[in-house]
Formats: sequence, C-alpha cells, structure tokens
Amino acid sequence: MLLDVTLSLLEGFGTTLELFLLTLLFAMPLGLVISFGSMSRFAPLRWLVQTVVWVVRGSPLLLQVLIIFYGPGLLFGLPLLPRFWAALLAFVINYACYFSEIYRGGIQSVSRGQYEAGQVLGMTKGQIFFKVVLLQVIKRIIPPMGNEWITLVKDTALVRVISVYEIIWMGESYIKKGLIWPLFYTMVFYLLFNGLLTIFFGWLEKKLDYFK
Amino acid sequence: MAILEVNHIEKHFGATQVLSDISFSLEQGQALSIIGSSGSGKTTLLRCLNFLEQPDRGTIAVNGKVIFDAQDPATLSESEIRKKRLHFGLVFQNFNLFPQYTALQNVTLARELLAKEHGSETKAQILEAGQELLNQMGLADRAGHYPHQLSGGQQQRVAIARALAMRPDILCFDEPTSALDPELTGEVLRVIRELAAQKTTMIIVTHEMNFARDVSDQVIFMDGGLIVEQGDPRQVIDHPRQERTRQFLSRRSDYE
Repeated sequence: MLLDVTLSLLEGFGTTLELFLLTLLFAMPLGLVISFGSMSRFAPLRWLVQTVVWVVRGSPLLLQVLIIFYGPGLLFGLPLLPRFWAALLAFVINYACYFSEIYRGGIQSVSRGQYEAGQVLGMTKGQIFFKVVLLQVIKRIIPPMGNEWITLVKDTALVRVISVYEIIWMGESYIKKGLIWPLFYTMVFYLLFNGLLTIFFGWLEKKLDYFK
Repeated sequence: MAILEVNHIEKHFGATQVLSDISFSLEQGQALSIIGSSGSGKTTLLRCLNFLEQPDRGTIAVNGKVIFDAQDPATLSESEIRKKRLHFGLVFQNFNLFPQYTALQNVTLARELLAKEHGSETKAQILEAGQELLNQMGLADRAGHYPHQLSGGQQQRVAIARALAMRPDILCFDEPTSALDPELTGEVLRVIRELAAQKTTMIIVTHEMNFARDVSDQVIFMDGGLIVEQGDPRQVIDHPRQERTRQFLSRRSDYE
C-alpha cells in the first residue's frame, strides 16, 4: 500500500515539478522584459505594462487558470488548450508579473553612480547592465526570489481546478478509499523540496557574500 | 594650443538656469581648480564635460577639434558621445567603485572591454598597467581587496587609478575629498599633487582652498552658474578682485 501511494504521489509530484521548472524557465526572463517595460521612459508603454501587472497581480491565480483554459473556447469557439499548457501559460504570466516587480526593485536599488561610473569609463549600456549592475541586482533580489519560488511550489496545487493531476489530486483520490494519511504524505514532498530550495538560496546568498 | 576649449556653455534644469555663458580654456599639463559655494554650478559643469549632462548651448573642443556642439546633432548621438567622453576621466565624490570587483578589477574592467572591441592590448598588458597604477597610488598590496574592505581614502585612490587606466586627456575630480574625514583627505590630496607634478592635465572641483592654491595653475570661481573670476590661483584666492569672490573666501576663513 505504501509503495502504491508513493508511486502515485511521485507521479503527481512529477507534474508539480514540471510545472514549477517550466514556469521558472519562462517567467524569469519574461519578468525581466516586463520590468524594463514598467521602467520605460516612454510613458504609454509604462502605463500599459503597469496596468497589466496590476490586473495580473490583483486577481486570483486560480481565476487566471480558469479563464485561460475555458476562455478561448467559450469566447471565440477555439479549441481548448491542453490542460497542462493552459495551466503553464497562466502561471508564466502570473509569476512573470511578480518577478518583474522584484527585478524592478533590485534594479532601482542600484545607485545612479554605478551607471555614471560605467558611462564615464566609456562602457556601453549593455556592458554597464551585464558587467556592473546585474550581479548587484541578483544579490539584492535573492531573498524575495526565494520567497517567490517557494510560493510557486505550493501554488502549483491550484491547477487541480482544471484537472491537471498534480500531487494533491493524487493524494486526495485516496480519501474515497477512506485513507487520510496520503494527504499528510504529500506534505512530506513539499517540505523536502522546499527545504532543498531554502538550502539552495542560502548557499547562493553566501556565495555572493564576498561583496557589499 | 589649448588642449581644452569650452565656449559659451549654457545649461538649464527646467526653468532654472544652472550654467550661463561658461567659457574657459586649459593648456596641456595644467591643473585648473573650480571653487564656489554649493549650487554654484561647478559640479554640473564637470558633468557636462563628461557628457553626464548635455549642455543646451555651447561647444567643447579638445585638441582643437570640436567634440560637442549643442547646435550640431551629429555630435550628440549615443555612440559618438561614448567615444568622445574617453577624452575625459571623472573621479566622483562618492567613489562609485564597482562593489563586486576587486581594486585591480575595478581599474582594468573598462579597458579590457575596450580592448575586446579594438584588440589593441592583451589582458596581461592591461593587468600589468592596472597593477602599476595601483602601485603609483600606494595601493600595491590592496589589488585583491574588494571596495568594502578598503577605507574611503583607499577607495578614492582606486577610483583615481580606474580613471587613469583609460588614459584620458583631461582628468576631472568632483569634490574628491568631500566624503572623506580629514585624516583620509590628506592621502587623496597627496596623490593628486603627485599627478599635478607629473603634468597630468586636470580639472578639480574642490572646497580645499589651500590645496587649490598650491596645486593649480588656474582657478575659476563660480557663483550662480556664472564664472565670476578666473586667473592665477594666488591672485583669485589671496587677492580676489570681485566682491562676490571676497565674500565667499572670507566666510570660509571664518571657520578655518
């Protein structure tokens, strides 16, 4: 029985991890692009991006998952996206907006003097960003980014609303058989994985401890 | 021929005029000090020379060649400015060292990036030149230190080495000792004096009057965005002709 449950939960956790990793893969760079938009000197673009970020951060992720899955079909008669991809799309958009605000905070915390020092040394904008600013930004955003990643791991549980079979769905299926412990068992997976993430972020923070 | 000629520079921030009709010239190997109270436009002038601000009017010529003309858009493009600003070096009041790089890396970073574009020097040559500059600044044993491990005076000397590494025609200092306590001020001023003795062409915005008198060949006193008085340092500082200069210098001696 234990083996049975373990295998079934592992299968669910595979989906959880897949969603987690793919969301990061797309949302991390997309968030950087969005953060540049929200800091743009071109006001209409800035307003547009800030409005999108407001809508996405201001409404439930659960709702966004439902809308992206059912919306295209009900509104425009389009075929449904595969469930997993619909969930992933919603997660990427949602997390990219959160990440963009973290990036923006990090980028704006680097003093203007750093940019000016690069400029007077004849560096290009790209060189200043990648060689001077970026690592300082990374150092400063590690703590909020750690929070966000851990939240993401747990948020993946929401996709059950469109029947993506992640780990809690798997655990819950045992309730019908009168078993509650598989649900507690799912918690072990979350705790172990988030423990690893915590260690990873602690290590990263230490790694960048050599400068202030 | 003058290495630097600044003609009729004007700069506004919104409706406020911060520089009016600034003209001066500087000979190769000379040091020019700019003095004046806070808000007189000294720092803005320096930032204009380094293209951190763009003057609304006027021209800047280096070695007889106009490198900036507010009327000529061809001199104002991003890539043009990037090339031309290398005529000038700037040492900031707050050092602005790159915290994630060691002292030596701070000195060599920009030159390495430039060499990558032009292939003019090898990395080894640049590192050697960087170490040499740090030695010259009295920081031979600090090359591997990160900025936060250095005192303010040491950080500022690294910043001077960093500016020198780009071999600017004219090295500018924006109140280089204002963020330092008196003990650390001395070591930075000593380095600048040495540079003056080696005939480095320099423009120094400073509040250190004795230093300005000793080190410079020419002094400019600015007030309200105007050059009020300019000339020989002994004349301007010890025997000012203008009433406004006298006021400024006498207030300072009240507490000195």
